[in-house]
Amino acid sequence: MRDSGQPATEAQTIRLEAGRAVPAPKAFNFWSRLRSNPLALISLGMFVGIVVLAVFGPAVYPMSATRPDYASINAFPSADHFLGTDNLGRDTLARLLQGMRVSLIVAVYVETLNIFLGALLGLLAGFYGGLLDVLVTRLADMLFAFPGLLLAILVAAAFGPSVTERFGGIGRLLLVAGSLSLVSWPLMARLVRSRVLVLREQEFVTASRSLGGNRPWIMIQHLLPNILGMVLVASTLDIASVVINEAVLSLLGLGIQPPDPSIGKMITEAMPFLEANGWQVFFPSAALMAIVLTVSFLGDGLRDVADPSAST
Amino acid sequence: MLKLIAKRLVSLPFVVISITFITFIVGYMAPGDPILAMLGGRTDPAAYERLKHSYGLDQPWQDQYLDYLSGLLRGDLGLSFRFQGRPVADIIASGISVSTALGLAALAGSLVIGIPVGLWAGVHPNSKRDRVGMALMLMLYSIPSFVLIGLLRWFNYQFYLRGLPSLPVAGWGRPEHWIMPVIVLASASMGYIARLTRVSMLEVQRQDYIRTAHAKGLYNRRVLWTHALRNAALPILTVIGPSIAFVVTGAFVVENLFSIPGIGFLSVQAIQQRDYPVIQSTTVILALSVLLMNLITDMLYMAVDPRVRVEG
Repeated sequence: MRDSGQPATEAQTIRLEAGRAVPAPKAFNFWSRLRSNPLALISLGMFVGIVVLAVFGPAVYPMSATRPDYASINAFPSADHFLGTDNLGRDTLARLLQGMRVSLIVAVYVETLNIFLGALLGLLAGFYGGLLDVLVTRLADMLFAFPGLLLAILVAAAFGPSVTERFGGIGRLLLVAGSLSLVSWPLMARLVRSRVLVLREQEFVTASRSLGGNRPWIMIQHLLPNILGMVLVASTLDIASVVINEAVLSLLGLGIQPPDPSIGKMITEAMPFLEANGWQVFFPSAALMAIVLTVSFLGDGLRDVADPSAST
Repeated sequence: MLKLIAKRLVSLPFVVISITFITFIVGYMAPGDPILAMLGGRTDPAAYERLKHSYGLDQPWQDQYLDYLSGLLRGDLGLSFRFQGRPVADIIASGISVSTALGLAALAGSLVIGIPVGLWAGVHPNSKRDRVGMALMLMLYSIPSFVLIGLLRWFNYQFYLRGLPSLPVAGWGRPEHWIMPVIVLASASMGYIARLTRVSMLEVQRQDYIRTAHAKGLYNRRVLWTHALRNAALPILTVIGPSIAFVVTGAFVVENLFSIPGIGFLSVQAIQQRDYPVIQSTTVILALSVLLMNLITDMLYMAVDPRVRVEG
């Protein structure tokens, strides 16, 4: 056990507050466990690095991501263009930084929706049961009926062109995120619901109820802290598939519209010239894999940190 | 057994209605007037009404949905918006056979390679070949198809440069056109199948009857091949469903990047031409075929494994 140094009574520690039993806050343990988990720490560092690159990169790096430079088309990596240029002479590094930003923005939108729609509905459905539970699980089942990305493809295809016309690039970004979350929030709802079904039968909930805790109180004070770790882990792991799925949508022409770059678009555009200019495919693919791997390792690390008993 | 099948069949209409209704309503709510777009600049009200009537768009939505459903039952997928009056079924018929053939080849490939690799690793858990094999399978499972395509094409090009036999990177018709797409399509489900087979093999080896067989003094090999393998094979049946979902989503990317005129390729063309009925139809067909295959594998599983029957 990695956390053998922790006091064994941690789980049973109870703080009395206004006559109601409250589990001790887990924040302290979380950070100290994180510090002793090198894999989680390294991937967290890399993740922060990627975020910093995506957020500040485009502002710091002076090249334009969309302005073509016809004097240097398909240029090799050089001092002028660190990662070379594409078939229109646009700087690859600038496009890549912008593309990473797009990937991360979409991921943030999708995970926000997952948490505020999926996790919240799962919590409410699991806790209150009844008609709400039936409605939420049936809706999730309906969306689950579509394999893989099909539903996201359908929605993005049906609404894409008019959303771009009316709301421009940001609207399109939101549509892409919205259609991708159609595929992932039911999973989150199902996950949270099943955890809540177990939690609500446990002694500390009964204890709180017998001490006079009403349902919202139990939900916020007792259930929420217990599912936060799981939600954090699930949404971190989900970022990997969101980033890949966003690339697939862009690849099919359903994502961010040209001339704005996105990683998936960069790969598709360069694919026909792979034999001549392999690096144009290599750099975006490598960036994508770096994001995906970092996020997966971070999610695994966070799982060990948030719930040491789950790791084998 | 019959009760279990009946249980599955009861929920089947719900799933079918979810799939058809969601695809219908997304297409119905898609902004823009397809009839106006079809007529181009001309605004002859009589022609407009006539065309709208021939597409059934002048009816209330519930009638449109019922029409759509009864059409589906008869194999009538409606009319294309892009090619005036041309039935959608006509457009995608050839694509369906191409995609089915490709998908089945990929599924067969992933089973033929995935299962032996999983068994091979599971027989000697934590050995070197187990670790190497499983690491390789994890890689195949997690690498996005478009990144794998880039890699394969690059290696293929290196072969070509050195005068070694190489494969065509686009097109359809000759046997060699199949090799790369099938590899890419099969890889994800292959990794998945191999990992599951390994787990199933490990699970079986822990059972009492295996210990009994060893205690009787049987040779290791005999225990493995006659006692363990037979029972380990059962859970493998269940992965076929999810594997088909992998193949279906993968088909969109693979068919487009290799220019294979399958259903995924045709849908992306339809997306670019804003031909919603085609996209709707491919979504419904793919979702329903995955559903059907899942049902078949479930029933197969019930037929093969007597324990499931007893529990039902």
